[in-house]
Amino acid sequence: MAADQDTVDTVAALAGEKYAHGFVTDIEQEFAERGLNTDVIRFISAKKDEPQWLLDWRLEAYERWLALDEPDWARVHYPKIDYQDLYYYAAPKQKAGPQSLDEVDPELLATYAKLGIPLKEQAFLAGVQGSPRYAVDAVFDSVSVVTTFKAELAKAGVIFCPLSEAVREHPELVRKYLGSVVPVSDNYFACLNSAVFSEGSFVYVPPGVRCPMELSTYFRINALNTGQFERTLIIADAGSYVSYLEGCTAPMRDENQLHAAVVELVALDDAEIKYSTVQNWYPGDAEGKGGIYNFVTKRADCRGARSKVSWTQVETGSAITWKYPSCILRGDGSSGEFYSIAITNGRQQADTGTKMIHLGANTRSRIIAKGISAGHSSSTYRGLVSVHPKATGARNFTQCDSLLIGKTCAAHTVPYVEARNANAQLEHEATTTRLSEEQLFYVMQRGLSQEEAVQLLVNGFVREVLQELPMEFAVEAQKLVAVSLEGSVG
Amino acid sequence: MTGLRDALLTRDETRLPGRRDEDWRWTDLRGTLRPMPVLSEAVQPLAPFDAPQGVQVRRFAAPATAGTAEASLSVAAGETLVLLDRVEAGEGPYARDLALHITLGEGATLHRLVLAADSAEAVSMSLTTVALAAGATLHQTVLATGAKRQRIATTVAHPGGGAHARLDGAYLLSGARHSDQTTILDHRGPGGSSEQLIRGVAADQGRGVFQGRITVAEGADGTDARLKHNALLLSGRAEIDAKPELEIYADDVACAHGNTVGALDAEALFYAMSRGIPEAEARLMLVEAFIGEIVERIGAPALQDAARAFLADGLEALRR
Amino acid sequence: MLHIDNLHVSVADKPIIKGLTLDLPAGQVHAIMGPNGAGKSTLSYTLAGRGGYEVTGGTATLDGDDLLALDPAARAAKGVFLSFQYPLEIPGVPALTFVRTALNAQRKARGEAEIGAPEFLKRARATAAALKMDFEMLRRGLNVGFSGGEKKRMEIFQMAMLEPRLLILDETDSGLDIDALRIVSEGVNALRSEGRSMLVITHYQRLLDYIRPDRVHVLAAGRIVASGGPELALELERDGYDKYASAA
Ligand SMILES: Nc1ncnc2c1ncn2[C@@H]1O[C@H](COP(=O)(O)OP(=O)(O)O)[C@@H](O)[C@H]1O
Ligand SMILES: [Mg+2]
Repeated sequence: MAADQDTVDTVAALAGEKYAHGFVTDIEQEFAERGLNTDVIRFISAKKDEPQWLLDWRLEAYERWLALDEPDWARVHYPKIDYQDLYYYAAPKQKAGPQSLDEVDPELLATYAKLGIPLKEQAFLAGVQGSPRYAVDAVFDSVSVVTTFKAELAKAGVIFCPLSEAVREHPELVRKYLGSVVPVSDNYFACLNSAVFSEGSFVYVPPGVRCPMELSTYFRINALNTGQFERTLIIADAGSYVSYLEGCTAPMRDENQLHAAVVELVALDDAEIKYSTVQNWYPGDAEGKGGIYNFVTKRADCRGARSKVSWTQVETGSAITWKYPSCILRGDGSSGEFYSIAITNGRQQADTGTKMIHLGANTRSRIIAKGISAGHSSSTYRGLVSVHPKATGARNFTQCDSLLIGKTCAAHTVPYVEARNANAQLEHEATTTRLSEEQLFYVMQRGLSQEEAVQLLVNGFVREVLQELPMEFAVEAQKLVAVSLEGSVG
Repeated sequence: MTGLRDALLTRDETRLPGRRDEDWRWTDLRGTLRPMPVLSEAVQPLAPFDAPQGVQVRRFAAPATAGTAEASLSVAAGETLVLLDRVEAGEGPYARDLALHITLGEGATLHRLVLAADSAEAVSMSLTTVALAAGATLHQTVLATGAKRQRIATTVAHPGGGAHARLDGAYLLSGARHSDQTTILDHRGPGGSSEQLIRGVAADQGRGVFQGRITVAEGADGTDARLKHNALLLSGRAEIDAKPELEIYADDVACAHGNTVGALDAEALFYAMSRGIPEAEARLMLVEAFIGEIVERIGAPALQDAARAFLADGLEALRR
Repeated sequence: MLHIDNLHVSVADKPIIKGLTLDLPAGQVHAIMGPNGAGKSTLSYTLAGRGGYEVTGGTATLDGDDLLALDPAARAAKGVFLSFQYPLEIPGVPALTFVRTALNAQRKARGEAEIGAPEFLKRARATAAALKMDFEMLRRGLNVGFSGGEKKRMEIFQMAMLEPRLLILDETDSGLDIDALRIVSEGVNALRSEGRSMLVITHYQRLLDYIRPDRVHVLAAGRIVASGGPELALELERDGYDKYASAA
């Protein structure tokens, strides 16, 4: 009774069907012409009113991308993507420029309400005393529709706005940091993103400031055959702190949709960035039809001494996930953390993990990765811990655990360790197990149904990671875990 | 796996595997053999000599310039064989490629010790493929002291069915020596078990590589597979690279791997020194104990003695 | 024998010992008592030469020689022995091998001849018997899988075998039941002699019923705040350390 056959069947049957965010918003949209060429790039750049340097930057990226090959080392399989068959820009038709909430298309507001994303600041204020507040940048296909709490954040000196706005309002910051963590031609998908990126969030926290609230960006892919190429840039200046959360959903469509994002984080001396993701893109149906291809490059540069970056991710969606949020531990005493839950079901494939590059002395890193595979899915942890000769006193601890539910799924663990300093201490542990019969029995003997018992044990399995999420999202994430494995998890 | 063999036979250096080949990223042969050496004599197994009681010994002499050899061995059902494979060092630069095939019949037992010695300028590769039958037991220990490039690879086709495989190993590297132990344990049927313990020490500019892949095929239920690699870095210019991998397609399994890399335990060092043992000696004592656990796991006493003698030489090299 | 003068020690840049002065004449046993975190282990590690214990001021000499300049092995060769509060496990090194290596290293450093295997084994057997230790335990990896009490006994075994001149016992009584305490104390008392001095660190007066000290010092907040005869230990047992905590 690892998870008995009934349970396994139910899980399989439910894959894809329980996706609650699969509706389509019917709204008039404007597209770039289909396909990718320099005209399309010029079109996107013009739409965003970009300065010449940024257009040049994009065009150079495009040139380089043409010379690159799509990577094939990840343990994911998908039909060849026809990059000329995609739309690289889609936006709801509306007036240009920033807008107040009243000006936003009611259809869009309804969409976010349905998704449970609070866009009305009053909604928070009217809420229960002491209820958590967080600022939201809502990105719909290729544009940001609204960013909340901007005024209040500005008072603290925090800049939180769509990247395209930052290009106009804070060009010196964008120019200094854009592409400084993930260089243009870092990899195939990042390079593509550099050429065609459309929207994303920009955050700057000035020296010594503790950002007064959680920041979050909510990404929604809506349009058919459209890629989303967002680009996020977060800079935490010396001694500052910011916690940021990213959420994502998409409609249920039979076609695959491409999402190739780039996220760059920069932490200066003593700064701390906490970056959380709850990734719930449409995973495709039980037969593997449709779903998002999530090819994402996320990297943090712990540039300053004693800086700290913590990545937490709950990955439940996407047909394919290809994603390795990483930390370059450059500053002496800097530290990086990676906490991950990756759940695959149906025909989902996930190849995800992290890279911790220890360059500075006394740098620390900690990796806790939990993978759960069910149905016909496959989940791979791929990670690199690299200690360079100058990283005296570097420490790493890595724990990777995989849980399999059913006989047709797969779980892989591929850690790379490279140590070139005699005063480093690296420790890696990995296990692959099923839900233990004894544990299930023990819990059921105390009165829980099998489903409740499985849910309890799965929650126990991922608890360490859930704890790392900001409180207000932890509950959501826990529900998501349950839904993703519905049938075995109640 | 043995890209060297093809390259030697065809004298085509473009066939040499390099760092862009996933399985060779840390054991780059590109550019290490230029020009490609001419095959000298075939390095056939030499006659056993000086064999301890009950132990079959095979000696693989080093070629003068370059050589490849292939050898097969099978242990019949129910039989037990104690085997010592001595891969002997030659002088100066040479290239060697060994392909060894072992078959264990039902319920057969093989205790195998591989002592891999090479010159500091050698490029020396070996691949052993082992096919186990149900109920068979393989206890293998590989001890290596490195070369310019050295790889000792073992792949085990494991049928489950109560068979058990133990792949142990140790490497002791000084100077600019490189050594790579690569294992692939392929659990293909239900009810099998395997365990691996590899310990390594890299001093000076030594570079130790460990790659261990455990695969469990669909249907190989009840598999219990464990792997551990622990390495010590004794110098700021030494390097350890490791990739323990799990590739699991069955749900009813217990698989685990662990990997540690670090310096000698400072507490233990201080403890030993506080008892009056000078630092250099205390270090050596701790290294010897660290590697010694591998020797203690060797089941056949005659092999244990051979292993100890081999390691004593390796430790002596560290003392300098 | 041991002179500590105005010693200051920092750990991770945090001052722990702050001006400690202590005089331990040859042949005497001094007890050091003090609350948790007072710096007792820090003092013993500093005397033994553990890395990370930075002497920021003062001196410690053994028979007039600067102890602090020597590495741990050289101190041991001069006769310093620390019985650890938390003895280490060293897998793969049998206790007998360990002690013999240490003994011969010390002898060599002192210009003495190495001890032969038969003589060593004979002494080891006798010592183990006196401490009521199972000799077979000495063939296993040092302290591996031993209970807390067994580890402490193994410390005393090493001490008896190495015959040091300055014995530092850091909470050797903790983790011992009453029988073990008696056996260990007898082992220690058997080593008392004219040329030997002991620093007995403990929390509880109990140990001092077995090992009678010549002097008792109270260590609080990194300094000796009171000294007296054996009666001081009884007083501490009765009144606790409160009064010294405020004094420090
Ligand atoms: N490695 C260390 N790093 C930081 N502080 C330490 C370290 N070791 C000990 N300390 C601190 O030093 C003080 C004295 O510790 P210790 O000497 O162990 O006390 P005692 O043995 O008297 O209980 C305590 O406050 C302890 O927390
Ligand atoms: Mg203490």
